[in-house]
Amino acid sequence: MEFAEFYQSARDDCLRIVLLNVGDRQLAEDLVAEGFAKAWVSWRKVRTYQAPRAWVVRAALNANVSRWRRRRREVILDGHDVAVPAEESRVLSGDLMAALRGLPLRQREVVTLRLLLDLDTETTARLLGMAPGTVGVHLHRAAETLRSALPHLADQEASK
Amino acid sequence: MNDDTALGTVRDSLTAAKGTLTETHMNTPLDAIVQRGRAARRRRRLIGLTGTAAVAASAALVVGLTGVTGSAPTNRAGAIRTVAFTLVSNPNGTATLTINNAALVDPTTLQNDLAQDGVPAMVTSGSFCSSNPVPVGFSQVVSFYPATAGNHALPPGVHPHPTITLHPGAMPAGTELSFGVFQLSSGEQQVTFELINASSYACTHTPPPSPANGGSQVEFSPAGSK
Repeated sequence: MEFAEFYQSARDDCLRIVLLNVGDRQLAEDLVAEGFAKAWVSWRKVRTYQAPRAWVVRAALNANVSRWRRRRREVILDGHDVAVPAEESRVLSGDLMAALRGLPLRQREVVTLRLLLDLDTETTARLLGMAPGTVGVHLHRAAETLRSALPHLADQEASK
Repeated sequence: MNDDTALGTVRDSLTAAKGTLTETHMNTPLDAIVQRGRAARRRRRLIGLTGTAAVAASAALVVGLTGVTGSAPTNRAGAIRTVAFTLVSNPNGTATLTINNAALVDPTTLQNDLAQDGVPAMVTSGSFCSSNPVPVGFSQVVSFYPATAGNHALPPGVHPHPTITLHPGAMPAGTELSFGVFQLSSGEQQVTFELINASSYACTHTPPPSPANGGSQVEFSPAGSK
């Protein structure tokens, strides 16, 4: 697959996943652009991976950590006043997204790769550089936190 | 509810949330991505060239330090100042954390900076993690300024810049510090600390109530953080 083809097919999906993680439309677009730029630099290697879009999402989430480190020395003056669609705003401000963003970084990465990108445990473990068992532990804790934060999930479960 | 069912429920909810973002599209053109990639590649090459020249000098420095101290230093000297907090690495191996009451703490930044100072910590926003039973030794690991009697808690408004001194060398093996950052409905920020067992803990999204006397948990709510 050529990079241009990959970008066209994966960009919206990556953006939506990163947006759920960071909750800010402009920031998410910038982070995903950074992730794709890194993928372009290493495309010969990235194209051989089992899940290149997961690589981009992880690069974007890591770029967010680096961004915080840079910005701590800066004074932010602009508020990115961009109109956000009502539906997007409603989803991003919901309890579930707040709970997701409240997770420790590692748990959030595991949730993103396993549940939003539907990777299996082995692939997730390789991508994050951790043991498969550790992926399971992070996922279990994250699911527990998300579920306990959202009582209506238990109701949904009971009604099935 | 078993693990698989709980996971399935969470997965369904997250997938549904993503599914509602169908109108969200990436607007950055491919050309801009490629340009950004080229710039990154140029920077990387430049760093590579500079780094090669610096390797010999830094290796010599590490060897010199190891020779004097017997081991490579785990704490870097100096201070990190962010809008929300200042973290100072002290010569005696402790770290001093001062919270600015006027800004919300970014959990990832604080966690990474604490790690650089040799303080294993898990910093979460909107949630707080704790172990049951709570590991012993909290009072040797954390000291608090201004000092408070009994429950180690600062009520809102007592001090504009609460300061915590952390002694990572006193942390029992297998433990880490849990920091929970909450923005209360009053607009105030609450940061709660506790020593936890790194391999066994649970998290809650409810800000913990003021700790009982003698408890190992410390919390403060800086005033004016609206």
